[in-house]
Amino acid sequence: MAENWYGRMRRFSGGPTRFLSETNVEVFLTELLRELRDDRATFNLKVLLLSPLCEYPDLLCSSDSVGQETALDLMSVFAQCPRKSTQFRSHLLVALTCVLICTSCVRSRSHVALDFLDLLFQVAQDVSDVHNDDTSRSLRATACDCLQEMETCCPGLLSQRLELLSGLRQQETSRLHQVYAGLQTVVLKNAVYQLTQEPGAGAEHLKCLLGGNTSFAWEVDQDAFQTDSKDSAMLSSLIQGSMGMMPTLHTGPDCKELRSVLSSLLEESYLFTPLCQAALLHRLTEVVAMVPGIPPTIFRAQLLRLLGTSEVCLFHATLLMKCAFTDSLFSAEDETFLLKRLLVLSQHPLLSIPEKLFYMDCILHFPENRPISCSDSDEALPVLLTPQLASTLLPTVFNDSATMLARLHLQSLVYLEEGVEESRGLVYLYDHLTSMLNIVESGGSREIVVTFFRAAFLFLLYFSQVHSYCLDLSEQLCRLYLRHTRLAPHLINLANQTQERLPECTWAIGLLRGLQKGITKALLGQLSLQDLSWHLKVLTRVAEEREICQHCSLGFLSSVITTSPLGVGGDWRLGNSFLAVCRRVLLHPTLDSLLIPLADILQHLACYYGDADIQDHARLYYTLLTTVSQEKLAMMLAQEAADNGPQVKKRTLSSLMAENEGLTGALTVHQTETAVLCLTLVSSEGPGESGQLHEKETEDVTDVLEAYRSQFGEPGFMPDVTLKYQLVHKQDQDPRFEQLFNIRLHFVLTDDHYEQLQDINVPCVFKGRPPPVVQLRLKPRQPYPTTLRVSAIFTTQDGFSWHTPLPDVHVAFQQSFLPVPTPPSWSGEARLQLFERLWEEISSETGDCAVSLFCCQLQEAELNVLSHLLLKVRSEVDAVHFSIASDSWQLLPLINSYLLTVTSSQEDTTS
Amino acid sequence: MGLRVLWIISHEGGENASIRFSRRFPTVEHRARSLSGSSYVAVPEDSLILQPLLTELGISSSNKSYVAQRDDCIYRPRSPALELRLDGEKTLWPVLNISQGSLILACLPLVDVPSETRPPLSSLLSVSQGLTLLAGLQTFLLGSGGKPYGDGLISRLEMLPSALLQVCPLGTPLDVPLVGVPTTPAVPIPAGTQKQPAWKTGLHRGRAMVNVAVTETVRSMQYGNQSRQDLWDVYGTVTCKCEVEGVLPNVTVTLSLPPNGSPLQDILVHPCVTSLDSSILTSSSVDNLDGSAFSGPYKFPFSPPLEPFRLCSYTSQVPVPPILGLYQLKEEDNQLRLTASLKLHETVKNNFEYCEAHLPLFNRNQMGGADVKVSFGQVDVSKEKNLLVWALGQKFPKSREVSLEAKINFSGQSPGPCDPLCTGLTAYIKLHFKVPDMTLSGCSVDQHSVQVYSSSKPRIATSRELLCKEYYIWNSTGAAPVSGAQMTT
Repeated sequence: MAENWYGRMRRFSGGPTRFLSETNVEVFLTELLRELRDDRATFNLKVLLLSPLCEYPDLLCSSDSVGQETALDLMSVFAQCPRKSTQFRSHLLVALTCVLICTSCVRSRSHVALDFLDLLFQVAQDVSDVHNDDTSRSLRATACDCLQEMETCCPGLLSQRLELLSGLRQQETSRLHQVYAGLQTVVLKNAVYQLTQEPGAGAEHLKCLLGGNTSFAWEVDQDAFQTDSKDSAMLSSLIQGSMGMMPTLHTGPDCKELRSVLSSLLEESYLFTPLCQAALLHRLTEVVAMVPGIPPTIFRAQLLRLLGTSEVCLFHATLLMKCAFTDSLFSAEDETFLLKRLLVLSQHPLLSIPEKLFYMDCILHFPENRPISCSDSDEALPVLLTPQLASTLLPTVFNDSATMLARLHLQSLVYLEEGVEESRGLVYLYDHLTSMLNIVESGGSREIVVTFFRAAFLFLLYFSQVHSYCLDLSEQLCRLYLRHTRLAPHLINLANQTQERLPECTWAIGLLRGLQKGITKALLGQLSLQDLSWHLKVLTRVAEEREICQHCSLGFLSSVITTSPLGVGGDWRLGNSFLAVCRRVLLHPTLDSLLIPLADILQHLACYYGDADIQDHARLYYTLLTTVSQEKLAMMLAQEAADNGPQVKKRTLSSLMAENEGLTGALTVHQTETAVLCLTLVSSEGPGESGQLHEKETEDVTDVLEAYRSQFGEPGFMPDVTLKYQLVHKQDQDPRFEQLFNIRLHFVLTDDHYEQLQDINVPCVFKGRPPPVVQLRLKPRQPYPTTLRVSAIFTTQDGFSWHTPLPDVHVAFQQSFLPVPTPPSWSGEARLQLFERLWEEISSETGDCAVSLFCCQLQEAELNVLSHLLLKVRSEVDAVHFSIASDSWQLLPLINSYLLTVTSSQEDTTS
Repeated sequence: MGLRVLWIISHEGGENASIRFSRRFPTVEHRARSLSGSSYVAVPEDSLILQPLLTELGISSSNKSYVAQRDDCIYRPRSPALELRLDGEKTLWPVLNISQGSLILACLPLVDVPSETRPPLSSLLSVSQGLTLLAGLQTFLLGSGGKPYGDGLISRLEMLPSALLQVCPLGTPLDVPLVGVPTTPAVPIPAGTQKQPAWKTGLHRGRAMVNVAVTETVRSMQYGNQSRQDLWDVYGTVTCKCEVEGVLPNVTVTLSLPPNGSPLQDILVHPCVTSLDSSILTSSSVDNLDGSAFSGPYKFPFSPPLEPFRLCSYTSQVPVPPILGLYQLKEEDNQLRLTASLKLHETVKNNFEYCEAHLPLFNRNQMGGADVKVSFGQVDVSKEKNLLVWALGQKFPKSREVSLEAKINFSGQSPGPCDPLCTGLTAYIKLHFKVPDMTLSGCSVDQHSVQVYSSSKPRIATSRELLCKEYYIWNSTGAAPVSGAQMTT
């Protein structure tokens, strides 16, 4: 069994939704909880079993009530668990916290959440918990973590417990004082924030809060947190730079209680781990920022220690402190020092790359005491950052890619501000770019190539106006391309992106012109097939530019196909590359002047190219070129190039298209963005057409059970459940989907409780006409409810094929019911006999069979086929007794919920 | 504050990637959902995260030379926070990551700053917390030496759930996992009035001992060229191992410099340092040297943790590099002529633990004949690797100068190793050396200056050494790549 659980847990964590779709969530949860109670299971296994609850509580507990039941179960497991298994008990507390928070039980102050809070406080105060070996933290620590998480997720939850928490922290001398301090700080911050939101709150209220007037009933603060937890503002950090509005609590200078709490926390902060220290400082920063009565200088004593720290989180907390307090805590000298520190840290040989990159980001968002720019999140350099200071962060070819690009970005901003004329910095940056280009040229790795093109793009982005460099870069790139034609996609991408980002800039055209020149002047004799196909890709891109003359491109094409052996070889892909260039030229505004050379090329391809398909296409293009006016041609081709508009266009596979444009469009199955169709259930005449219960002359059946069972041996007997659906259009559809043809519905099972379904063909669905009805024949293996994924392929009027998802079809438990399949010749008496015999058998069997009693006020009996579900319904005075017999106990939760729906609907109709 | 999810992924050059461990923190996710409202993007299941992450890291589909999604030239600040493009228009940000060898550690911090646009990373404390946790987990999984393979990793991964229960039970990082158990026996701290530091797992019992080691590392780029300024820098670390009794014992270590020594700069200290004099922090390498700057003694009062730790680090500007080199290559008559000379500076102790010069000659055919003469030391010619290794042993000769001359032809049939940084005349000598008992800055810890406030007399040991790293001497007849010249001086 345990082995089985390990496997199941592995499959669960591999893909929880998939795993849960193949099983029944409630059943899985029930089994999980049962195994947790099982004394035979090891604690290692039990810890593993808790992981779905610790990681995916909302998947397992779909509703608050399930969450509550689960939490109750877990709490009883906790109560029964031996004290010495600290690890497991800690994991249990974590699981409980996750379940209660994620199912909103804490927010809705359910009793189980309150009980759990009591339990946590009990554990947190339990000093007898001395099972404290050096490596594992005690249960008390975990309880505090859980309390802290509850308070963080439901701010204000514990605000009445401040004094208690403060006391716990002060008494504690073991390492645990850190967790108490963390908890106290979160509660304090939330409590102060709450006060800032109360009109008229002041020093007195603050004093009361810290004095922990616990005479307030427990219930009272529940009210408080229920309303306030709606305020998601409390979940967020309050330090948001100079632009954020800080809520304030006006106390006047008299808040010595708060001041003494803060001082004592700060004094002890040195004893905390850096991570906890940073969190504490951040929260205290928020508190002091909200209470103007406390001067920020309260942090002064800690500052030197923090400014010299090697820990990234502590330095970060200090920067955030500066963000909150600016010159009320940090002098101009401090500011200069901090900036220099950041520069040092950004390139410190002992720090990790991610840390250095983070510090560089901090320079770009440096919290200045007096910021000039008002931009909230835009990157802006601090005024203090001179080019000389920044020169410590010059990019080098020895940097890793991310560092190099980040440095180049920063330097570009620096020199952009400095003014680019005569800038030595710009000279350096360009030299650097050239160094990188040389490395790429000498065969740099893919990573270096990509980094170089990113660097080139950055350079262009900032310095496109410095023509001398850009011109030189363009020339160097052309030279690089001719040596490494495989870089074609990078160059095309660079041209595209610079055009898009810098629409005013003509650099990309210059580059493309240069590439065209380089390609067309190349010696044909040395051309490899590989080079040629890259060249054609580039020339295709070049032909998109209206300003670039295409004569030399065509000259090149012409000489390749007439003189080079590659030109007529018959490679289909290469042929398409030739055609792609021609097709682009057909669209070029200077086509008139290109008519003769283009016609020659097309004719040559049509006559001599070694692939019939290419010949045909070339002939078609030739015909079009020579017979259709340029205007019409442009219209025809441009229409194709345009994206599919909303208007319906007729298309045929013989239309004019290049390899990767219209052709693929017409040949592929397109995907609709949203569902076009859906299946809606046709309400049938009640489950299972049970209308034929009329008496019949019965052949004599001696053993009904045996006769009944023997049917299952007959081939093709397998009874199926037929469900009827209408296939209808979804609302608000694109007009081109109004008439659909040849629809093929495909069903995918999400579990293995049913046999695979056949595809269903529907000839057509027209909007406005009565929808077609489709019949789903489900062959159950297990009578569980299920969900079917549905998709359809159909054709639209314009000849396109489409694939569309349909909303899932849900099959409820009761939809899988069938009447007991007796031979039609049986009499009612025989059927009754069969019922009795089945009942007896199920009641007497052990194993998977179960009998249950259920009472309510109605009457209905059902039978199911492969698994039997027998109901005996007996009327009593004020209720109906349901005796349920089933040969699969796993169905019981489903039966239960089904009967509940039956009774509730009954109540609805009676009331 | 908090992390939504944590992943540990292994891969082989971008292939065969698999998620070795993942942990979701649903309560933080719950907060993320309420904070981001309609713009909320849920963390996808593990199987859907690998591809976007590898693409963003540029290591997916390593067999394809160009993939638009992966190789687009648009600059996005990629690190330390990645933006993963999921299905549709959705993106997941900020995914922090640390890679070492074949292991990637990644986490997704909670964005708890409301902002219409994306808030800057520096406004989110969870970012630096996430980075700290990732670095701690990396050390936990691979050790500080970083050997990412074998059973060690597997057993460490198995320990992760219980380690996370200690350091990050609900998504808020509290500490980094403990790497090893202290070597000396530590006992639980008895109840007392003195609060125990949370970063100290127990108490030391027994003889007091303090070990302080100063390690300096020198880096250099020498061009042998009038127009290019040679570069070198020095950084040092002071590591301590202290075994002292008491809950919060006081120890003070003092670093001192020789008279006229240039001040220690960019000092960073361990969080256990209790207080700092502001003058210690003032000197920075980004400033020009100031003759009046504070130059010691540098006092570091601290209360030590049980495990060894890096008390502080510094940088120093020394006037000359320890070894000055000149390297010249000439291509003539189908062979390459090499001349190299190295000179040990007179202030450097002529007593090495080892000293080697590596002369790679890459991007050529394999070496054929090699005719090598040296004035001192031994040369090992590795023809398959196209590499000369010049071993100088423990001492330079009395003259402190050594030289090498070689004629090499590359008549081998198969191509030798490749390195785009070492092509044609762009070539270098790389030095590897270690000098015990010396520092370039002159920084030292006097045994008698270590103060320990302890009942028993402590045993105190101090040491120092000089290492080199990235010590390059470029061929002066070729174009060396540009690397961060100090343009301003």
